[in-house]
Formats: sequence, structure tokens, C-alpha cells
Amino acid sequence: MKLELQKGSRSKILAAIVLGIMAVFVVRLFYLQIIQHDYYVGLAKDEQEKRLDLPAKRGEIFALDGQTPVPLVMNQLVYTVFADPSIATDDAKIIDTIEKVAGGNARKNLQTLLDMKNSRYQILATNVTSTQANMIKKEDLSGVGFQEESQRVYPEGSLAAQTLGFVDAAGIGQYGVESYLNDRLTGTDGLLQSVTDVNDIPLTIGDDNIDRPAVNGQNIVLSIDRNVQSHVEQALKDGLKRTGATRGSAIVVDPQSGKIMAMANLPTYSPAKFGQTKDIAAFNNNVVSAPYEPGSDVKTLTMATGIDKGVVNADSTYINTDHIQVDDVTISNATLGQTGKITLQHALNWSLNTGFVTVAMRLGNGTEITRQARDTMYDYFHNKFHLGELTGVEVQGEIPGTVIPPTDVQGNAVRYSNMAFGQGLDVTMVQVAAAFSSIANGGKYYSPTVLAGVIDKNGNYVPNKPQTPSYNIKKSTADQVRKMTHVARGTFFASVDKSGYYIGGKTGTSQVIKNGQYSTDETVGTYLGYGGTTNTSRYVIMVRVSGDHQELQGARDALPIFTDISNWMLDYLKIQPKG
Amino acid sequence: MSYQRTQYFSSRRQQNWSRNQNTVAFVSAIKLGPVTHTVLVALMITILGLIYLTQATRATSYDYATQKIDSQIAELNTQKSDLQIENARLTALETVKNSRVASTMTTPATTNYVQQ
Repeated sequence: MKLELQKGSRSKILAAIVLGIMAVFVVRLFYLQIIQHDYYVGLAKDEQEKRLDLPAKRGEIFALDGQTPVPLVMNQLVYTVFADPSIATDDAKIIDTIEKVAGGNARKNLQTLLDMKNSRYQILATNVTSTQANMIKKEDLSGVGFQEESQRVYPEGSLAAQTLGFVDAAGIGQYGVESYLNDRLTGTDGLLQSVTDVNDIPLTIGDDNIDRPAVNGQNIVLSIDRNVQSHVEQALKDGLKRTGATRGSAIVVDPQSGKIMAMANLPTYSPAKFGQTKDIAAFNNNVVSAPYEPGSDVKTLTMATGIDKGVVNADSTYINTDHIQVDDVTISNATLGQTGKITLQHALNWSLNTGFVTVAMRLGNGTEITRQARDTMYDYFHNKFHLGELTGVEVQGEIPGTVIPPTDVQGNAVRYSNMAFGQGLDVTMVQVAAAFSSIANGGKYYSPTVLAGVIDKNGNYVPNKPQTPSYNIKKSTADQVRKMTHVARGTFFASVDKSGYYIGGKTGTSQVIKNGQYSTDETVGTYLGYGGTTNTSRYVIMVRVSGDHQELQGARDALPIFTDISNWMLDYLKIQPKG
Repeated sequence: MSYQRTQYFSSRRQQNWSRNQNTVAFVSAIKLGPVTHTVLVALMITILGLIYLTQATRATSYDYATQKIDSQIAELNTQKSDLQIENARLTALETVKNSRVASTMTTPATTNYVQQ
């Protein structure tokens, strides 16, 4: 029997329907697999593949202990322990475990937190170490989870807080070295893209796997010596207590390299608890970010300018009447009575303003501070001693200050007569200390730096290459001013120094501008000096004390702090006394 | 399984060019039908699939081993880091200053220097 489909038969209709359905399937599959290919591949990848960011470890910061790096800022993995009260079943066990293991890091009201059954997230303990977290994990507590985070820890507490700065909640460095070197410290996050199983364990199957390791941030070694820093902070604290000053700053520089051995400011704060700091002004490193009128410390630079230009020397004389006229302004000495024909050494000993206005005049025609004199002073102050410009010290927030050039309408003779004894210009302590270092070391200017080197991948300390100095004044000039400051200190304060050493310095007491005018009830006391042997200065120290409505003086209030630090430095650096 | 000679033949070309040389052909006595072929192909595909799965599973097992080692490395690194921090805290200046050894130290009355 021959079977065949008859026209219009049900079999034919069925065949047509089947073909139609097949056609629908084919079209649909074509649409899904060809046209929508990329879309569905994407969905599948989203489901199967995971992208895990591999966070780079932030670089650690080291100080020096002599020549050995010691950690100041480290990283620690800590955990936040949280609970989902809606699924937590054994509250008593959770509370017992958390209190026993986390101790002081546990929240005080754990039962109350776990009673909030409508909540899905309650923090039970913070800053739990990995060891503690593992102990809690072993208890297999239902409804308890962990959040891992890296935090900065400070083994030395608040030591050098303003130099270090801190890292905020977003992981960005704020203030100090943390901010200035944020890019170097941060590193680059890595990426792991892979097909994972249900437990998110990466598998090697798949064509689009990416395994890019994180590049950790650089480990930085600062030139800050932790022993010097610690003593400077203590000396400053004692000094403020003694004088009643409310603010103090100090810097210790190695004049032979420009490396800063200590920078301290009070009031200070704890970088580990920066969020609890009441006055955010404590975050500022006033050594680099608080320009002020430096006062008589600058007389050493004026003297160096005059000697270097060959118009004066330590034995040059002038007639002191305690007053000197510059244009329509009369400038007076703070200390009266040293009148008559005196030497510039005598003027430096007694810090007489008239002597240094005289030096400025002799840079001109001898009786006036001419444009030539002002150009010379500006060239030395700004271009050679680098006052009024950023030094480039690697601490965030450095402010350049201001030295008004003679080309400015305000750069007139009166302005420059004031600048000769340290007023009428705004500079920072780090600028003054760096400039004075070039006098202490024989005429070599080193840019101040807090960086000593790095720790390489093998954990070895790699010091930076020594800096090449610029020669800003003649060695004979530097030596002469160095000697003058030694004599000036010895005139009144020789007894406070350890014998057998070569110490020199200059006091400074400067007025403060408030609301555009010099305040009548507030002065800043400073002391700037060096110490070492007859031939070599081993350190330069600058101290500043100040306070609102406080009349502080260089000799009375800042000098004792210098002396405290200086005498300690002589022992610490093992400098052998003469004789 | 054996084969038996079933037929002798020689092609016309051989007859012309290779006289007296016979060619022998064997034909299997076992006949495999289409169903058997299909089953055999399916079996081969299955075996190949199993081989693939074995290899893939083996690779995955390596992944788990790697993951386990990575976790151990991370754990040890964390412990190392914690110990370094503890070491730094124990050797910090404040700790040293407040130590029993430091508290019993005294300032020397005199200091002598080696003459250079």
C-alpha cells in the first residue's frame, strides 16, 4: 500500500504546523544565539565570573634610629565584627565570646544590640586583630560576620605627628608626608578576574581570566631621628610649661646635608585618633606652614650679605644713637644705651636694629638704602638664602611666605630697612633654618628635606644620594658670621653650654601683625643657633614660642629650649669636646 | 575474531600490467548495523567527554589547592605583620623609657673621651 499525503489532508496541515513551529524555533534561536550573542555572553560572565580588586598595601613610613630605620607608621589588618540580629540565635554565646575575645574593643551594650531583631546589621566590636577574629570564627557563631580593613598604626604614638600626617577613612593621606607623598605611598591596586565556584574560589577555566598583582606603595624612610625628635618634643613641652607659652615649634637640621632630624609642634595630636582632635590647627606643621616676621634672627643674614659684598665686617664701626632715620621713619633699638662708636659685632651682641640698618645703607651709598642696596638685599635674601619661596620640603602645606622685591611699590627703603632686622617680610622657620645652615656649614645651601631613603623589596634600607648644594656665599663670609654668632652667644649665655664645644646663635623677638597692625601685647620669641666643634657645625636648631596676647622673648623664653636640645645633641652625636 | 578468505579477484589493470599477481581482500563476517554504529559513536563521545571532565576537574582541584596555599600565605603574612607591629610597640621609645631597665639607669658623674 502506498502512503502519500493527500492535498489538504490533516497530515499535511500537521507537517505545515510542525514546520512553522520549527521555523519559529529557528528564528528565535537565531535571535538569541546570533543577534543577542554578546548580551547573553555578558549575562553569563556576570554570573560566572568575579572581579576581585587586590588592594595595594600602603607604604610604611620609617624614621631613623642613628642609621637604622625604625617604623613610625605601619599597616595592620583589623576586623569589624557585626551581627545580623534577625538570624542570630544564641545571643548568650555571642555575647560571651565577643566580650571574652575582643575585650575593650567590644561594644558595651551587646545584649541591646542583639535584641534589635528588626535590624540586619549591628556592630559588636571594632579594631579586632586577626588573631582575635580567628578565635571568634572558631566558635562558629550563627549570624555573626566580619569586615576586614587595613588601618594605620603608630608604634611611637604621637611622635612627629605633624610631619607624618594621617590617612582618612577614604584611604587618602592628609597633611604631612602622608599627603605630600600620597602617590608614592598608595601603590596600584591589582585585579583578579576569573570564573569562580559557588564559594567565590577562582578557577582557571575560562578565557577572560586576568591576574594582575597589586603593586604595593613605597616604604619611605624619613631623615627624622626618633631619638632627637623625642627629645625635642619633650624639651619643647617643658619649655612651654616653663614660659607659659601656648604654642611652640622647633626644628633640628643637619647643616652638612640639609636633612631635617626633628620637627616638632605643640599643641600636637595623635594620628591614630585624628578624628578626636578638637582643634584642627594641631594638624598643621607650623615649621613649614606658619609664616611669620622672623625678627632679629635675620640680622645674621643681613650681616652675611654685607660681608659677602665687602662693605662691612665684624669690626666695622658706626655711631649708634639708638635711633636712625630712613626717609620719614625713625627706627629705634629695642635695647637702649649702647650708644657711641661701636662695632657691628657689638651691635649683633646687643641685637641693635640701627647696626643692621647701617649695613643696609652701606650696601647703597652709605647714607640711604638705595635701589642698588635693595636689589642686593633681595638677591641675597630671596635668591641665595631662598627666603619667601617654597623650599620643597616633603611635607604638605608648605607656604612660601613673602619677601617683597624692590620692583614692587612697597619694596621701598623703609621696607628694606625693616627687613634688615627681620621685620617687613614673612618667612617660615624651615626657610630660616635652611638659610642659617648655609652660614653654619661654610656657605653651602642645601634644600631642606625629610627624606632619607626607601626600603627596597628585600627589606633593605637604600639611602638617597647626597644632595648637591648651591654655593650662596663665600666660605670666608660664612665663617665670619658663624664666629660672630658664637661671640654673640658667648657674651651673655656662655655658661649654659657644655664646655669644650663651639656653639653660636642669635635671639629673635618679633612683633606680630594682627588686623593689619603690629600688636602691642603680643610678641614671638625665637632662637636660631648651631653647635658642634670649632671646625664643623653638626646641627642647627631653631625654636619659636608664641601665644595669643603673650609677650614672649627670644632670650628669655626660646633660648633655654635651644640650650636644652643643644646640650643633649652634643651627647647624642658623641661629639668630642675640645681640651 | 578471525577473517577468512572469501574471494579472489584481480582487477583488469592488474591483469594487464601485473600478470599472475593476485590481490586478496577480506570481508568481516560480523555485520554492524546502524544502531550499533550509533551506540558506538555515542560511547566514544561519552568517553571523550569523560576524559575532558576528568581533566577539567583535575585542573579545578589544582585551583582549590592553589587557593588553599594562597590563604595560608595570606594568613602567615598577616601573622608576620602582627608580630612586626608587636615588635615595634615593644621597642618603641615610650616602652623603652618606661621599662624596668631604664628606670634603674643613672646619669654618669663624669665622662671621659678617648683622645683622637
